[in-house]
Amino acid sequence: MIKFSVPRESLLRPLQLVTGVVERRQTLPVLANLLVVLKDNQISLTGTDLEVELVGRFSSDSLGAEGEITIPAKKLMDIVKSLPDDAVISLAIDDAKAVLTSGRSRFTLTTLPASDFPSVEDEPDTLRFTIEQQVLKKLIDATSFAMAQQDVRYYLNGMLLELTQDRVRTVATDGHRLALSTAAVTSDVSDKRQVIVPRKGILELARLLGEGSGEVEVALGNNHIRVRTPGFTFTSKLVDGKFPDYERVLPRGGDKKVIADRAELKSVFGRAAILSNEKYRGVRLVLETGNLQVLANNPEQEEAEENLAVDYEGDNLEVGFNVNYLLDVFNHVQGEQVQFLMADSNSSALLQDAEDSSALYVVMPMRL
Amino acid sequence: MSRIHLLSPRLANQIAAGEVVERPASVVKELVENALDAGATQLQIEIDDGGVALIRVKDNGQGISKEDLPMALSRHATSKITDLQDLEGVATLGFRGEALASVASVSRLTLLSGTQDQDHSWQVTASGRDMATEVTPCAHPIGTTVEVRDLFFNTPARRKFLKTTKTEFSHIDDVIKRIALAHFDISIQLRHAQKVVYQLHPCNNQTAKEHRLGQVLQPDFAKQALSIEAEASGLRLSGWIGLPTYNRSQADYQFFFVNGRPVRDRVVAHAVKQAYRDVLFHGRHPAFVLYLDLDPKLVDVNVHPTKHEVRFRESRLVHDFLFHQLHKAIGSVRPKTADLSPASLPDSYLPPPVPLGSPSPTQQNEISWQPAPRTHYEGVNEGAIAAQLQALPQLTQGTALPTNTQHPMGFAVAQLHGVYILSQNTQGLILVDMHAAHERITYERLKSASDKQSLQAQPLLVPLAISATAFQTETAEQQGETLATLGFEVTVIDDNRLLIRCIPAFLYQANPEPLVLSVLNDIAEHGSSHAITSARDDILASMACHGSIRANRQLTIAEMNGLLRDMEATERSDQCNHGRPTWVQLSLAQLDKLFLRGQ
Repeated sequence: MIKFSVPRESLLRPLQLVTGVVERRQTLPVLANLLVVLKDNQISLTGTDLEVELVGRFSSDSLGAEGEITIPAKKLMDIVKSLPDDAVISLAIDDAKAVLTSGRSRFTLTTLPASDFPSVEDEPDTLRFTIEQQVLKKLIDATSFAMAQQDVRYYLNGMLLELTQDRVRTVATDGHRLALSTAAVTSDVSDKRQVIVPRKGILELARLLGEGSGEVEVALGNNHIRVRTPGFTFTSKLVDGKFPDYERVLPRGGDKKVIADRAELKSVFGRAAILSNEKYRGVRLVLETGNLQVLANNPEQEEAEENLAVDYEGDNLEVGFNVNYLLDVFNHVQGEQVQFLMADSNSSALLQDAEDSSALYVVMPMRL
Repeated sequence: MSRIHLLSPRLANQIAAGEVVERPASVVKELVENALDAGATQLQIEIDDGGVALIRVKDNGQGISKEDLPMALSRHATSKITDLQDLEGVATLGFRGEALASVASVSRLTLLSGTQDQDHSWQVTASGRDMATEVTPCAHPIGTTVEVRDLFFNTPARRKFLKTTKTEFSHIDDVIKRIALAHFDISIQLRHAQKVVYQLHPCNNQTAKEHRLGQVLQPDFAKQALSIEAEASGLRLSGWIGLPTYNRSQADYQFFFVNGRPVRDRVVAHAVKQAYRDVLFHGRHPAFVLYLDLDPKLVDVNVHPTKHEVRFRESRLVHDFLFHQLHKAIGSVRPKTADLSPASLPDSYLPPPVPLGSPSPTQQNEISWQPAPRTHYEGVNEGAIAAQLQALPQLTQGTALPTNTQHPMGFAVAQLHGVYILSQNTQGLILVDMHAAHERITYERLKSASDKQSLQAQPLLVPLAISATAFQTETAEQQGETLATLGFEVTVIDDNRLLIRCIPAFLYQANPEPLVLSVLNDIAEHGSSHAITSARDDILASMACHGSIRANRQLTIAEMNGLLRDMEATERSDQCNHGRPTWVQLSLAQLDKLFLRGQ
């Protein structure tokens, strides 16, 4: 019979992360539950939505017999969350009921047998590499905003993870703009391996990686990706599809190079966006030597004009963009300076941190 | 082995009858059209047993001379055209010379006719497998009578497919309706089982015509319709279109006449549908009686044996002309007089008056005698109440109401349950659904603002490949410029695949595939596409819905009056975007009735 008792704070974090995977509304009742397993003096909590699975592990000193059971996830988390910070929580399974006690509080929850709980099968022939946790997090954060959401092109509703011998690269696009980020790793992949991780998996993984440090192990199977951190195992199904060839989308031959301060760009475009059309979000950029003018107007004929000193020498250029796409880039570039590379008003622009080309952003202009 | 031989004339005619004579109504149609082509001004139509037992059509046209009578019943014989040039510009209703022969082959037909220059009349019948004709003298005034008895007596298969007497008669009725609406100058009498169904007199002015509309359709049709009169580039459109609130659950009140010929045409149907877009409640059909007159050379009527379909040489021109005229007419509807109230309540809607002396429901007592609970006013802006109180005396002190022509929507009195505005005008009381009304106003503003802006296009970073039919890819290849004006850029990969490179900017969140395909289909069929405007309007409609005042928002009198004035100035303000009415008028007379005043 499972039985354990732990301080609240060591239960809360795994519980919160694992519960995040569980969908609010369910057709299969067991998916609203967490799988609790006591084995090898360790307790593991598993939450799944059949696409993403997250396992959190922790240990405790007073353990009962080995076993497994499922408990309602949301209710368990709400109870644990609202108990006092210094509470010690004990959980015991008694005759198909889970009894949670802490101090003078006592809760009895229903359970479902663990045999009903779906599990992800282990795959052989997986490709493994290790990467610094924060590096992986940075790769994801730099690109995840560009993922499509509920697009008919299902393969865009996720992120491409590309592994070669010496680097790993993440790419996301919604068909209008693209974000790409690269980091160095060593792996034993012979040629190049590409997988698409679904949107939800990426968002959960970013949450899991959080602030932690240390190495994580990433395993790429045929149908799954698995990331192991010290306390957790994250597994996600992969999207079966072909991601667009991002190399062809990266613009080449841009000769108009502009460098400007990121914070200034952010506020200039943020102000201009107020008077851009609510639906199209179009803004006009007029570029001349040393100056960038940003113009926006809306159906009520209200207009915004902003001028910004930039580092630019070359021909005048007038080009339209969806201001949201530009603001997204300014929000995710790390450095102080942003560099634009453009060719003409019809071809896409390449944006990046002026000093660091590990993350690249491509934005398509608009015809205004 | 069977040998090849010529079919007997009767059998050949029976085969032809299969195309033209489908049911009794088609016989009536052919006979009435012949009468009209003969220049008749009076028609008497007698039907018995849904037309199976008897169809008799009597006219006062020019008649048929004795020599021509046998010819009249043979195939490919007509007086209406003589050579190919006539066929290219047919001005008569019939011209194929098949109808009478076909009808005669499947029934017992007698044709009686008298002409001006013969001293007495003759009748003709055809019988036997060679359809031998027999001409005998008879008594008949100038004109022709065709008597068709025992329809389909020799084609049991057809007879089996006939429906009930009532159904068959309703089809005949439909034919007569079309004729009556197409020829206002002709008097028509329709009798069924010896009872007069219609007695229509010739109409020579608008009032008489509207009276006939009422007789043929519904008595209130003319009141609920807009009269249309327009002419441009050789096309002339006249008739009536029902107000958007006067809609039907079936497309049964849709009459369209091209040069006096009733037709059903896809180009026309599409233009009308587009014109009624976003004023008609979901799943309802508009009512219309429209006449399009154009040079007969510009329309081909020889498309279908029953001539229900026509082909326009310039279908795009006709489509656009119709759409613009109807769109303009529907857009011009504004609150005007009580008569035009979009949903003026018929008397039957009113609850029956409470019998005198009977106790009134207790609920009423509570409402009128108990002060409303305090909680009811929670969240009300105190200033708003003050403003309402200030405004009230002005109205109750008997300030003369301005005439209706100035402010048909009247002046706001109060707000009811945070949902309706009560307004009084000279006719009585107006109830306005404030969300619906404001939604329409916001929507029209967004649309006109958006019309002023040039179309913005968003090229795709990752072009989208879609599969299409060969016809669609061909259209895309030929109509690249038309597509570009709509904000699309589509290139052809091969016969079955297209690559979307650029879409209109406001659609960046939509799935472009079905849109591109429907635009291509529209362009191929009508030469232009409203699919983009309609997709844009959908977006604007949801913006308007979210951007409009919601129920339970307390309005001051000044705000309410502002809304009423906006309604008077806004196009199509009688309906919200979803076709629901925005206001109703309760006239003083209706209110008096409720209280049994003056009875």
